[in-house]
Parts: sequence; C-alpha cells; structure tokens
Amino acid sequence: MSPGLVDRDGETHVRVTSGLVLSKRRFAGLIAGVLFLFAVPDLVRVAQALDISFFQLGVIHRGLVFGFAAVGLNLLLRHTELVSFGHAAFFGTGAYTAAVAAVYLDVTGLLVLLLLATALGTVMAGVIGALSLRHTGLYFALLTLAFGQLLYAIALGQSALGGSDGMPVRPGEANEPLLFGQALGDAYGVVTYYITAVVVLVGLLVMWRIINSPFRYALDAIGQDRTRAEFIGLPVRRYVWTAFVISGVYGGVAGGLFAVFRRYVTPDGTLYFLQSGDILYMAILGGFKTLLGPLVGGVVLIVLEFVGRSVTPYFEFLTGTVLLILVFGFPEGIVGSLGEGGVFRRAVGQTRHGVASLREDPSVAGDWGRRIGRGLRQQIDESLTTLRVVLFGVS
Amino acid sequence: MVRDADVHDSGGIDRRGLLKAVGGTAVAAALAGCSSLLEGDGEDGPGQADGTVTDEPIEAGMLTFTRGAAGVLGIQAQRGAELAVQRINDVGGIAGRREITLEVVDEGDSPLDSYNQFIEEGKDVTFGPISSGTHAQIAPEVESNEVVNVGTDGTVTTLYEETVPDPTYSFRFQNYDVMECVTMAREAVARLGADSIETVAGVNPGYTFGEDEMAVFTRAIQKLTGAEVVYEGFPELGASDMSNHITSVNDEEPDVTFTSLWGGDVTTFLRQASANDMFDNTTVVGSILYSAAGDVPGDAIEGTELYSGSRNFYWDHPRTGNWQPGRELFEAAQDQDGVSIPNAHYMSGYGAVTAWATAVEKAIDLLGSYPSQEQIATVLEGHGFFTPAGYHVMAEDHQGMSNAVAGQMVYDEDLGGARLEDVNIYSPSETAPSPGTTASDWLDSWSG
Amino acid sequence: MASGLETLVVQTLNGLQFGFVLFLVASGLTVILGILDVLNLAHGELFAFGAYASVGIFGYVTGAIAAPVSGGIGTTIVFVIGILAAIVVTGLVLIPVGVVLESVFLRPIYERDQVYQLVLTFALLLIIIDVTKFVWGDVPIRTNSVYSGINQIPTSELLGITFPTYNVFAIVLGAVVVVGLFYFFARTKTGRIVRATAINREMATAIGVSTDRVFTLVFALGAFLAGIAGAVRVPPTAATLEMGTNPLVLSFVVIVIGGLGSLRGAFVGAVVVGVLRSWMISFYPPGEIAAPFAIMAVILLVKPEGLFGTWGETA
Repeated sequence: MSPGLVDRDGETHVRVTSGLVLSKRRFAGLIAGVLFLFAVPDLVRVAQALDISFFQLGVIHRGLVFGFAAVGLNLLLRHTELVSFGHAAFFGTGAYTAAVAAVYLDVTGLLVLLLLATALGTVMAGVIGALSLRHTGLYFALLTLAFGQLLYAIALGQSALGGSDGMPVRPGEANEPLLFGQALGDAYGVVTYYITAVVVLVGLLVMWRIINSPFRYALDAIGQDRTRAEFIGLPVRRYVWTAFVISGVYGGVAGGLFAVFRRYVTPDGTLYFLQSGDILYMAILGGFKTLLGPLVGGVVLIVLEFVGRSVTPYFEFLTGTVLLILVFGFPEGIVGSLGEGGVFRRAVGQTRHGVASLREDPSVAGDWGRRIGRGLRQQIDESLTTLRVVLFGVS
Repeated sequence: MVRDADVHDSGGIDRRGLLKAVGGTAVAAALAGCSSLLEGDGEDGPGQADGTVTDEPIEAGMLTFTRGAAGVLGIQAQRGAELAVQRINDVGGIAGRREITLEVVDEGDSPLDSYNQFIEEGKDVTFGPISSGTHAQIAPEVESNEVVNVGTDGTVTTLYEETVPDPTYSFRFQNYDVMECVTMAREAVARLGADSIETVAGVNPGYTFGEDEMAVFTRAIQKLTGAEVVYEGFPELGASDMSNHITSVNDEEPDVTFTSLWGGDVTTFLRQASANDMFDNTTVVGSILYSAAGDVPGDAIEGTELYSGSRNFYWDHPRTGNWQPGRELFEAAQDQDGVSIPNAHYMSGYGAVTAWATAVEKAIDLLGSYPSQEQIATVLEGHGFFTPAGYHVMAEDHQGMSNAVAGQMVYDEDLGGARLEDVNIYSPSETAPSPGTTASDWLDSWSG
Repeated sequence: MASGLETLVVQTLNGLQFGFVLFLVASGLTVILGILDVLNLAHGELFAFGAYASVGIFGYVTGAIAAPVSGGIGTTIVFVIGILAAIVVTGLVLIPVGVVLESVFLRPIYERDQVYQLVLTFALLLIIIDVTKFVWGDVPIRTNSVYSGINQIPTSELLGITFPTYNVFAIVLGAVVVVGLFYFFARTKTGRIVRATAINREMATAIGVSTDRVFTLVFALGAFLAGIAGAVRVPPTAATLEMGTNPLVLSFVVIVIGGLGSLRGAFVGAVVVGVLRSWMISFYPPGEIAAPFAIMAVILLVKPEGLFGTWGETA
C-alpha cells in the first residue's frame, strides 16, 4: 500500500508505510521531529553565532549515538523486563571492531566500518546472551555487568588494542574514514552527523515495526510470567535470546557510529561499566515505556553532563539528584511524563485543583501544613525505632 | 652528564647582555625568571608594542586533570601555566599590550568535546593535555583546526612518530617517555656501575604509560648493561595493595627495580615496600617518583637508596641559594593553591606557556605585527627559550629538548617533603634521538 | 634469594589479606541482595566513606596514644587496642548512614520495578562521592603513624618470613569478623530472624517479624562491614575518591562465584579471588586485571548458579 491519507475511526490518518499509520497530530510531530533532527547542525551554528558555545554538534551527536544504544536496550527492558547492565559490551565491541579494522586491516570505507561493527556487535550479543540468559532478575543484571567488565579488562590489558590509551580510527592517506571513496575533510563532523541521523531514523522505524509485531506480545507475555509463557507453548529461551541479540545490534551499530565520528576509541569511553549504567539511565530518564524516550534521554543526559561539568565541580551530585527526582517524581521519564496520562499532565491538573480549593477556602493551607508535619514526624519516629532496633537487636 | 658541582654562576654579564640572552623581550625576561632585569627599565625592548598589535586579550585554553588521582599532577601543570601567564600579564602582556586569559578545563571526561569547545570559542592557543590517550585523540584535531597547541606532559614517543608523523601545529614541551626512561637507565648505571647490574625488575602502573615506560627502560638498560629482566609487575592505577608485586621483587632480589609509578601510587608503593623490607633487596630507580615529593612518607624512605628522575626540572637545581630564578619560582609556587613543592609537571605547564609566548614575541619582532597561527608554528620550530629550569629548544620534530634531572630522593624535615640530593644532569643528546630518527632505531643503534 | 616456598606462602598470605577486605565488602552486598533483593551500587562508596571517616578517627587515636616505638609490651597492647577501637568506631559511624539510606531512599521503592533500584542506588553512588569530596576535599588523605606503628611489632620475623605485621593484623581482624558474622547468623536470635526472612519473607511476616526492621538491620550491617573494610584498607595507602569502584566490581565477581546471596559463597569467593589474583601477579603479571573475571567466567560455565546456592538454609 502506498503512502497517503486514510480514514480510520472517522478521522483522517496519514499512512507513512504499510502498518505505520498515524493520527494527523502525531504525523505532524513526526515531521517536526525529523526536520529538527536534520536541522541540528544548522541550529548549532546559529547558537555559536550567538555565543552559546555549549551546544556542540559533537556533544549532541554523542548523545544521539548513546541514546540509540539505549533504544536497543529498551527492547529488553520494556518487554522482557530484563535489566541489562552490560550494554557497553556491544557498544564497545562495535567501536573496537571499527578501530581494529581501520588500524590493522586498513579498511577506509566508513560504511564498511559500520557494517563490520554491527556484525561483531551482533556476534558478541549472541554469545553473551547465551551465557547470561540462563538467569533473570538482578542476577542477569550482574552477569551482563560482569561480562562487560571482562571485555573492558581485555581491552585494557592488550597493548595491540592500545591499552588504556585506546585506538585511533584514522585509516589511510586521508587520516579519516572515507565515504564512497571521498575524504570529507572539514565537513566530516556534519556529514557523519547526518549519517547517524539517517541510521537513527531507520533504527527507530525498525524498532517500531518490532514492537508492533506479534513478537513483541510474545515478549510481553514472557516478561510478565515466564512459566505461563512456556505453558502456552512459547519458545521462551529462543525468543528472549533473539530480543537480546536485536538489542545488542543497536549497541553494535551505535558503537560503530561512535568510533567513526569520534575517530578514536578508548576503553573508558566505550566499555567501562559506568557507560553501561549511562545507557540504562538514558532509557529510564527519557522514559522506558516509550519508543523515543531512550533517544531523548541519551541526548539530555549527555548534554546535561557536558554543561554540568563546566558549571560546578559537584556535578555528580547534580546528576545524582536528577536521577533521584526521576525515581521519585517522574518514573515515566521525560517522554512518558509529557505524554497523555503522564505525571506532568496530572500535576498540572492537581495544581489547578489545589489552587481552586485554596481560593474557595484558605483554611485548607493549614490542613496541608499539618499533613506534611504529621508525615515528617512519622518518618522520624520510624527511623529512630529502626536505629534502636539496629543497635540493640530485635526485641 | 654534568655533576651538580660543575655548574657555576655565570657572573659578570651586564643586564642588557642578559636581556638579549634570554630572548630580548620583557616577556622572555619575566618568564626566564629574570624579573630584576626589568626593574626601572623605561625603554621599550624589542617586541614591545609598535601600534600594529591590538590590545585585545589573548584567549588561551588548557586541558589538564583538575581532579581525581591524576589531579595531583594536573594541578601542578595548571599552577605552572598560571604563573607564566601572570608573569606575562605583569609586564603588560604579549608585546606589552595583549594580556592572556587562561581557561582551564578538566581532561578527565570527554576531553575531545572540551577541546572542540575551546576551538569553537575561538581560543588563540591551547595548552595540555596530560595523558597520552588524550594527546593521541586531540593531536590530529589540532592539525586540522590549525590552532597551535603546546602539550604539557611527556606522554609517549609514538605521538610524533605514528599518531601525527609530520606535525605543523602540535608541539610538546616536556620530556617524553623515552627521554625519562633512558635518563633513569643512565642514572642506574651512574650510581651502581654497569658491571654490577645483572638483573632488573619493574613495578609500573597497569596502563599504557606504565607498560611503555618499562619497555623503554628495559631496552635502554639492556643495551647499557646486558641485564636480564626478572620480574615485571603492573599494579592497577590507584591500587591500594601492592604487596604482591613487592613480594615478587623480594623473591628475585634484582639489582635494580625500575618504577614509573606517580602521584599517590608512589606513596603507597614506598610505604608498603618499606614494610616488606624491599629496599634491603634492591635499588629502586623511578622516572617520576618525585611527582609525590610533598607526600612521601619520611620514615619509609629513611636510609634507602632511592633515585628519581624529575624530567627537565628540579626546583633546587641549581641550588636556590644562589640561583634567583629558581628561588623566585619556588616562592611563587608556595603561594599558590595546591602546590607544596613544584615538580616537573609544574614546569610542564610553565614551559609550555613560555615556549608559545616567547615564540609569539619573536614573531612580532620579525614581522612587526601579530603573527598568524601558521607563522607562530613556523617560529616555534627550532625556537630556543629560557625558563628557570634552563635553556630549552623546541626541536624541528616539535619535541621540546631540555636537560634531564635525576638524583637521590631523600626526605627533608624542614621542607616537609622529599628533595633530590647529588643531582646528575643529562643532556638531550644523551636521552633522546635527534629529529628524524625514531626512538626505536636510535636505541637499536647503541652499541651493546 | 628468597626460597620459592617462602614466596608462595607470603603471596598466599597477601592474597588472603586482600580476600578478607573483599569479603567485608562483598558480604554486605550479597546479604543485602539476598534479603532486600536490591543490588546496591552505592556499596563501594560506603567503603570509601568509611575510609575517609577512619582517617580522622585514626588521627584522634594516634594523637592520644603514642606508637610503640620502644616496643614495650604495655604500650604495644594499648596501641593495638586503640587502632582496633578506631576501626570499630568507623564501622559504627556507618550504621546511621546505612539506616538513613535504607529507610528514606530504598524503602519507598521495594514494590517498584527492579530497574528503579539500580537508578536509585546509582544516584546515591554519585551523591555520596560528591558529599565525600565536599567534606574531605579532592586530594587523597592519609593517616601516617598507624601502618608504621603496627609494623614495628615483630610477628612474622619470628617465623622467618618477610610479611608486614599490619597485614597479619588485617588477616586476624578479618578472620574475627568472619567468625563473628557466621556466629551472628547461626546462633543469635536476631540473626536467625534475618535468615528466616531470607528463606521465606511471607512466613516470617506471618509469625510477626517486621520485615521493615529486618531490611534496615541488614542494610546497616552491610554499611558497618563496608566501613570496617574501609578503615582496615586506609593505613597502608590512602583514602581516595575513586577507591569505591574497584571493590564494588570485584564484589560482583565474588557474588557470581559464590552464589547469589550466599554468605558462605561470598567468603569462599572472596578468598578464591584474593589468592588467585595474588598468585597471578607473581606468576603471570599481565593477567592481574582480567584474572577475577576469568575465574568468574569459568565458574559460570561449570556451575552457573555459583559455588553455593542461595543462602538461608545454612549460614
């Protein structure tokens, strides 16, 4: 079926491709999003002209790339409820594959480097998936983390891989990967950004297809109750492994993109377990119940980190606080909270309601104060009891 | 090699002669630590403003470690650079009118982004970084951005042999790994005699730098003595426990144990080595043990035979008692935050700024106007200049050449830290290949 | 040259010493994991926090008690007791920290998706690092006379081997804590209640155990042990902001080797990692960093559930 307008439930919808049919409003959002994605290099140039220097193309690019890995991780997190704490393994495998191919095999083609990165990232996901999917829950998280650290230790220990210094991705005469045999020169940063933007769009589209397929419902069933899923005849192991590999592919692609656009890879920047953590937090920050959330979370977290570092030496405290607020205030993440029924909309409603009742009867303010005071007292009482119990035992 | 005692005061040169010797300009004199030359000097020296240079401030950026374990070194480099900038600004800035503002950014996280931001902010020059990994990342960017960068720390030989084989805008001031390791191999031979070194061991930090240093030291000492390597250990950076490595050294009782541990790791190592009686079993030589000078456990190194290099600068050589530039630098450093005893890293920041500033003044002198990046880069090649550490040349391969320092590390109660006694000086020709020869070929060419 | 046997013995002792410190961190982590079902990413920072706190406490003690320079038995005993007290006090300081972390931050999210625990404990990790930095500054801090003071007591020389007395001290202290911990869980009423909760939370609640309190108790115990570990680790080296990461990651390895939530597993895992790492440094130095992960990989292939199953049935 060709793209065009269709009628659904009495409303005009837009068909983008077969299966992807959006309401007019969402379609407009999609167009705006795509335009924005491609306008970033120009917006950055405008920002620079206005002396707003922290909007750097390289920083936003890095955010997109990590966010893309988070989109992959989210497939596991959202549908199978498996928390991977080792996604840097695939990211790093992709990045190092590109670097090794550039340094030792003299591969100069940018797209070839990306393909190789994707391939090896996929293989690594297959292997680690087979080993760690024997477990679920926190044990699974621990295993993925440990495998990630094993790869990190290997990269760190091998002088052929550059050890802690890492490796350049600058093959050939031009000292950089070539696109269709052409050196990009000064345009390198912008062109690679557009490549990333295209890859991200395609990746999102593919992910959209996956989560609108029967496969997704099978994963949901597995995530909710494995035993039951097995009883109804789902090949649980194979499905979960497949989902794990798909999510790893996104990591591998992201790693390849990272290596290519940075032209340098380091173990700390690609394989360290804190990078795995970052990828996970991006998904939560952006909203892991949504498709776009992880991508948004990636850009927001990376830009926040970059700006935060130049603003305060206590920037870890800042990130920590943001995550705390996220856990307690906005568990649906940025995109989730902005969506229908999200915390944001509810909060607006509640505030409106509160202001209205305050206007009607100002004495409610006293009630609120008393309620807060009571809550605090209760908390303190409880803490003191617990402290007593801890110090003197359960009596 | 020159013994400490061989260095005499020059004496008998008049002020104008000296001013000329240090490069002829007020900035050069201030940076050489000869500020007394400037007092009451009303007349404009060469390089003073002649109207063609604007008084717009020069924006400089510096990448260094400002926190964490490596912050111990990075902050020294930062303070050194800050002192140099202050001295330049005290005489009115470059050409007497362009003051320098220095922005310092931590190179710990995503240094490439921080470097790019410098460029986007339109920095006129960048200094740093410290780590070899960062250096390998940004050196190609320096070349494509065409803004002069003077690296501070030593980092690795491969920078100008492989990473950027034919640099134009990337320079490096401080002695690099081959220089400091060859210095220590020569120092070991000078102290113990080639005949009494038959076995060597190494305890080096477990990352690229430490592995490099051990490899270079091994090649040099084998050429000089034919010694055999009996143990190589690589404790992790920031390791809290090195007793395993120390026990292994004790087991082998090597004649010499080489280490390139730095900062806090030095303190941990010396303390645990002393507790395990390691100093009874071997003589320790370290390329940058002295980077922990202010933090060395006095009781641990008392009565030991411990030798340390300090790259191209040891603050008390020549003795500050009769070497005013050194004394003034030391005193200025004491007033700064976070520097108890200025070390080679301090000089790396100071010297990088000095190399650039004196070259710019030389270019202004030649051109009569403020030079372009390309012109600065051209002048920097082969440029000679003074710091309180002596005379330096930015060789045509973009590597700074300076004398190297090594001495016995002892604890000084009054100083509240370590000092180097009985200092030996090694000239660049003894510690580094001449431009055009790779370090590897050079080491191979030594007769065994 | 020292004999090969002596080196082997000393290296094993070195490994044991490292293993005990690792156990102090990993035991808390594994018990918290087993009972609260929380992977506490901030656990390494509790260790670092303990290390920083101990520097001041050690300073106070060594200021009050002179190091046994002359070697008199009396002064030596007083000094050792003082150091022991300082270590225990450091652990005690960590208890309220643990109580607050558990009751204020963790308690509200037990019912939520597990992923939020990881976000939360990671947020706590970041916050504790910066609080530590704010309180004690960015440069490493040390305590000077504890290590050399203890080392002046001759012990290993009596056996004719070179081994610092402080390390003997650390091993003995570690062993005492291990015995104490197993005794606590096997013999005391509180310990049995904790174990009962680990085996069957619903049943424990049904017979009147307050799981809230058990959870807080377990978390505080973990913080106490991490604090002690931090205090033991400081004298030979320094307290640094980065020091929490390595023990945390190695503790993960220990838990995977020993089996999730198993205290005995944590003990065996910690000693195995400590000793094998130690031998590796001696006989194949390049493997130092990768060794623990290699051991873990082997265990995973041979015995995926870890050496010891889930904890609770036996202590």
